[in-house]
This record gives sequence, C-alpha cells and structure tokens, in this order.
Amino acid sequence: MTLDDHQHRDRVVPVYAFTGGRTRTVGQELPLEAVVTATELFAAFGGSLQAESRAIIEMCSGPKSLVEIGAALRVPVGVARVLVGDLANTGYLEVHLPRTAAGDGGPGHAILGRLLDGLRSR
Amino acid sequence: MDSARVDTRRPPPPTNRQLIPLKILVAGGFGAGKTTFVGAVSEIPPLTTEQHLTALSIGVDDTAAVPDKTTTTVAMDFGRITVDQQLILYLFGTPGQSRFWFMWDELARGAVGAVVLVDLRRIDDCFPAVDYFEDRRLPFVVAANAFPGTDVVPDRAVREALALPGGCPLVRMDARDPRSCTDALVALVEHALARSTG
Repeated sequence: MTLDDHQHRDRVVPVYAFTGGRTRTVGQELPLEAVVTATELFAAFGGSLQAESRAIIEMCSGPKSLVEIGAALRVPVGVARVLVGDLANTGYLEVHLPRTAAGDGGPGHAILGRLLDGLRSR
Repeated sequence: MDSARVDTRRPPPPTNRQLIPLKILVAGGFGAGKTTFVGAVSEIPPLTTEQHLTALSIGVDDTAAVPDKTTTTVAMDFGRITVDQQLILYLFGTPGQSRFWFMWDELARGAVGAVVLVDLRRIDDCFPAVDYFEDRRLPFVVAANAFPGTDVVPDRAVREALALPGGCPLVRMDARDPRSCTDALVALVEHALARSTG
C-alpha cells in the first residue's frame, strides 16, 4: 500500500524538523519491534524537552515498540527511531532489544517455549 | 532506510523488568486476509506505520519501480499480543507488492517465523512469500483462509501446488476468528520450536 498525502495534512511541522534534519544518531541500530519504557529521569529533568520527545516519554509509561511510537506520532518509523535513539542515549528511555540465539538468529528454544505456552493459554 | 543508534556503552538506567520483544510476520497475496488476521488477534487496534523509501533502503535495480524515492512511503499493518510478564509479540502484516520486498529482510531478521495466508482460489499469489521464507530458512506455516468454496480443495492438492516441504505445516483457518488465528500462531511456534537450534 502506498499512503496518500491526506494522511499528512494535519501535520504542521515537517517531519525532518523533529529530528533537526538528522536520519541517524549514534550507537546500535534499533529494530522495528524494539520496546522502550520511560525511566524516572523525565520527572526530574524532562521540563525542557521538545513536545514530541515529551509525547514519546509519556506514552512509554507502558511498554511501546518503535512502530507503535511511529504510528502514534504519525511519523515514519525512521523518524521515530532517531527520536527514540536520542532519548535512550540521554537516559529518558530504556530500550528492550529482541534476544537472538547464536544458532539460527531466531529467539532460541527457551523463549520459543515460553511463547508457545503463552499462546496456548489464551 | 533511516537508521538510529543507541549507545550501548552507557550503563542501563534502572528498570522494573526486562522485556523481550518478539515478532511474527503475516504474509500472503493481496486480499488473502493479512489485515484481518492481525486485527483479529491484536490487543491494540491494528495500526499502520510508514516506512520511507530512501536511496539507502532500495537497491539500484529498484529505483525504476520507485521513481520518486524521497516521497514514497509504504504502509505496514501491525498488532501486539502481550504473552506474559516479559514477552511481547508483534505481528507484522508484510507489504504485499514485490517491489517492497527489500523491507522483508528487516522484518524477517530475528523473527519467530511467518504465517503465509492463502486464498485457495488464487493460490499462485502466495508463491513469492513461500519462496522467500524457504530461501531464508525462516520457519513458516501455510494458513488456508476460509474463503467460500475453498474447503473442497484437499490438503494434498495444496501441498503439491505450493511444492511444500513435508515438514511445513498446512492449517485450515478463518482469519476473522481470533481463536482460529491463535491456533495458526501456535502451529507456527510449534514448528519453529521443532526446528530451533539455539
């Protein structure tokens, strides 16, 4: 599917302005399903953050993935990735990365077993 | 594609619990029921996110198919299932058109596996997905979605048409029914577990 422009009409500020024109930050690349949670830092030092950063931290009082954040802010995942990366590097967000087993790059036996138990009990 | 990085050298901030995200891809031809499937099992209203296509994310050969590469976006459905205190499963409906397949590599990396939805009236539509997951050795199940008249097609005919390997599960399901979708996910995870090496 290709999105129509109407989805962006109510976005007043250009997307690149959120990130200061950057498409990258430093450190490890975040996968789409990386989950982030807010730390307690915001309560102490969050007052000067820009509105988008505050919105991300506030929505991450519960666990949210990169794609959920992008969808909620109505920005592309790449933009969410930069904003989240910055907030993680400054300590406002904690990142929970997927775990991959050494063998096949998948989640590994133990986690798959727990996933199976969890799905069966639904 | 755009890429952000997190500096892993800094000490992690304090947290209540370590969470583990997981993902399963929901693939198949156009109209096979991917969006319906994700919506049926997701605990959040299914959302759509955008991926910008940039010069970094598309191969040279793909630029002809994406002439205005700076403005093209791809929408991708996704949903979430909180499995337990620690595991959060994300479902991604993969973009159907073959010109977006470069995105599948990122989606497939580290995934549990894939559910390939099939409309047996248009069985050819799922060939590309089956080929893709076979090539990448990613565990997948073929899920024949219950469209009118498709229940008369025997499993053997489906397996033959798709040249499915013997070990690959084939399930009959209804993407409108959450129970049925969960059963398809269970079949996939059982299959992935049987193949898991780590």
